[in-house]
Amino acid sequence: MEKAFGGIQAVDRCSLTVLPKSITGLIGPNGAGKSTLFNIIAGLYRPDGGEIWFDGTRIDGLPPYEIVHLGLTKTWQIPHELRNLTVLENLVLAAKNNSGERLLNLFLRPGQVKRDEKQWRSRAREVLKLTQLDGLANEHARTLSGGQKKLLELSRALMSDPTLVLLDEPVAGVNPALAGSLMDLIEKLRQNGRTFFLIEHDMNVVMNRCDWVIVMHQGRRIAEGRPDMVKADPAVIDSYLGG
Amino acid sequence: MATIISSEASNQAAGRRPPWSEIIAFLAIAGIVVAGVLAGALAGASPQGILTNVGFYASIAVIFAVMALGFNLQWGYTGLFNAGIAGFYLIGAYTMAIAITAPAPPIVIGGIPVYPGHLGGYSLPLTAGAILAMFVSGATAAVIALPALRLRADYLAIATLAFASILQVVANNLQSVTGGAIGITGIPKPIEFSSADAPFLNAITIVGIGSAILLLLILLLEFMAESPWGRVLRAIREDEEATMALGKNTFNYKLQAFALGGALMGLAGALFAVTLGYVSPSSSFAPAVTFSVWVMVIVGGSGNNRGAIVGAFLIYGLEWLSVQLKDYVPIALATGLPILRSVLIAGGVAAVVTAVLVVVLGRDRPTSIWGRILEKALRRGWGRSAVIGALALYGMGWVFVFLEEHAPGAIGTTIFYLRLMFIGVLLILLIIYRPEGILREHKRVLR
Repeated sequence: MEKAFGGIQAVDRCSLTVLPKSITGLIGPNGAGKSTLFNIIAGLYRPDGGEIWFDGTRIDGLPPYEIVHLGLTKTWQIPHELRNLTVLENLVLAAKNNSGERLLNLFLRPGQVKRDEKQWRSRAREVLKLTQLDGLANEHARTLSGGQKKLLELSRALMSDPTLVLLDEPVAGVNPALAGSLMDLIEKLRQNGRTFFLIEHDMNVVMNRCDWVIVMHQGRRIAEGRPDMVKADPAVIDSYLGG
Repeated sequence: MATIISSEASNQAAGRRPPWSEIIAFLAIAGIVVAGVLAGALAGASPQGILTNVGFYASIAVIFAVMALGFNLQWGYTGLFNAGIAGFYLIGAYTMAIAITAPAPPIVIGGIPVYPGHLGGYSLPLTAGAILAMFVSGATAAVIALPALRLRADYLAIATLAFASILQVVANNLQSVTGGAIGITGIPKPIEFSSADAPFLNAITIVGIGSAILLLLILLLEFMAESPWGRVLRAIREDEEATMALGKNTFNYKLQAFALGGALMGLAGALFAVTLGYVSPSSSFAPAVTFSVWVMVIVGGSGNNRGAIVGAFLIYGLEWLSVQLKDYVPIALATGLPILRSVLIAGGVAAVVTAVLVVVLGRDRPTSIWGRILEKALRRGWGRSAVIGALALYGMGWVFVFLEEHAPGAIGTTIFYLRLMFIGVLLILLIIYRPEGILREHKRVLR
């Protein structure tokens, strides 16, 4: 896969595989191309070359909203909360196939619209309980703290019942206790059959929670393997972990 | 600091408190109407004439309200900035005129073409004309949006601005369709009256029809905009990229909102054609119309349908009032100048004495009642604002007196243009003290 911005080759012939039902970590120094890679997978950027396959479907070039419907969602490193909407609204928006979101259904199928909306609202409340944001359900998203916005990102990703979630620094800025329980939650969800691919700089999380780690540097994959193998790799120590 | 705290407190208590914003908005509009009626009565107009005048205010305000609702759907909800409102308005007006008027062949007198004629003369019923106007405007909006919405937001504004300017030129020059500079006249009224008080009865019918349409529209728009569909629109306004990543085809939503908004502007144009009885490529479709609608939505409160309507009635009300005052103020000034001058002198002396008392006594004995008044007034933002406002009013009074003495009649002719300054000042004050508009967008609490 390739992506260039002007003269900078952000992602340079980088090829990688994420196994189903795994928690795969993606690490690398700042500017290595990790977030760019995520944006390409989620369809927000068009790749300049290469192919992306998800669950037997080729997804490169598809618009982001179609990729979401295939079961692949992403969270943002810098939270993209919908500021003037409430937390609950932010979540309900992430629902797939909410019939009330089609203009004609409002007039032709009012009963269906009401049922769908009710169902998604109760689902949203369940998700908020999982991420401990239920007390803030009816607050504007702009009033949340930085860490809470991160939680909102994760909550939204869980709403659409995805098979693969791309998490861009999910626990950065979240307090240690909550970060721990978040990772427990991710572990539990993985056991239910979901796959997680996450960027994280917290080595504690990467080394203890991931089954597989991929290391990027200057747009290329320089190493991959089990966490303990990667930790000992001289190239990784040289470019990222430091002596 | 005090204002911040009080605004937060009012947020928390919003459920229990009386709806102050609504009350203020209502009082302001009522005040404008009363002032206009008084000015008319003092200038010696007949009761029926005054009522006809108020009816004209209401019917044009309804037209602007329909446009403001359309722009609110596009910008207030979806964040799409339309700089060509006047263009969609023009399309609606001309479509209506062409659809419902009787045939008007070209007129040639002595070999000189007097009137080029215009397309149509279909004499369709009014309802059909209005639906056609909405359809043509909405479809045009969709066609413009199709390429422009794919680009960055600024391009939509540029494209629509250019579109509106081109349309005005086209209306002027495409004589065989639009009747050229003369336009299309003889547009039928909803009901044709032949009695002596026909203008009055016409005004009443138009206001009735306009109010019914406005009521229907606000119910429909509240239903649509407060639905899951409307929620996606608001999400796009907040962050389009994030909304796309949540699985929404944002382009489709933007297209729908823009076309529906355009259709509403077309409906406003259709109402305008019927209200005036003629259309011509005059100032009715100038960019100023677009700017007025912006101000209406900003002042009323974007993202709030009732706010858009309040803004329309308020801003157009100021314009209407300035026309009413133009007739009355010169007479009043000519007769009341000595009184005004003595009031100003007396007021000035009283204010200086009070100020000296408050400042001097307050400085020396900070615990005295004067000291406390001074301290309180200075500590609060509104205290300072009130002093500045009073000084400005006082200064303006003197300006009026001197102008009337040295250039009699000048105020009467300029007051009409001064309205723009008043609207500007209102806008600046609003942006400083209440940037979200008179009726702010409310928080949607989901159960």
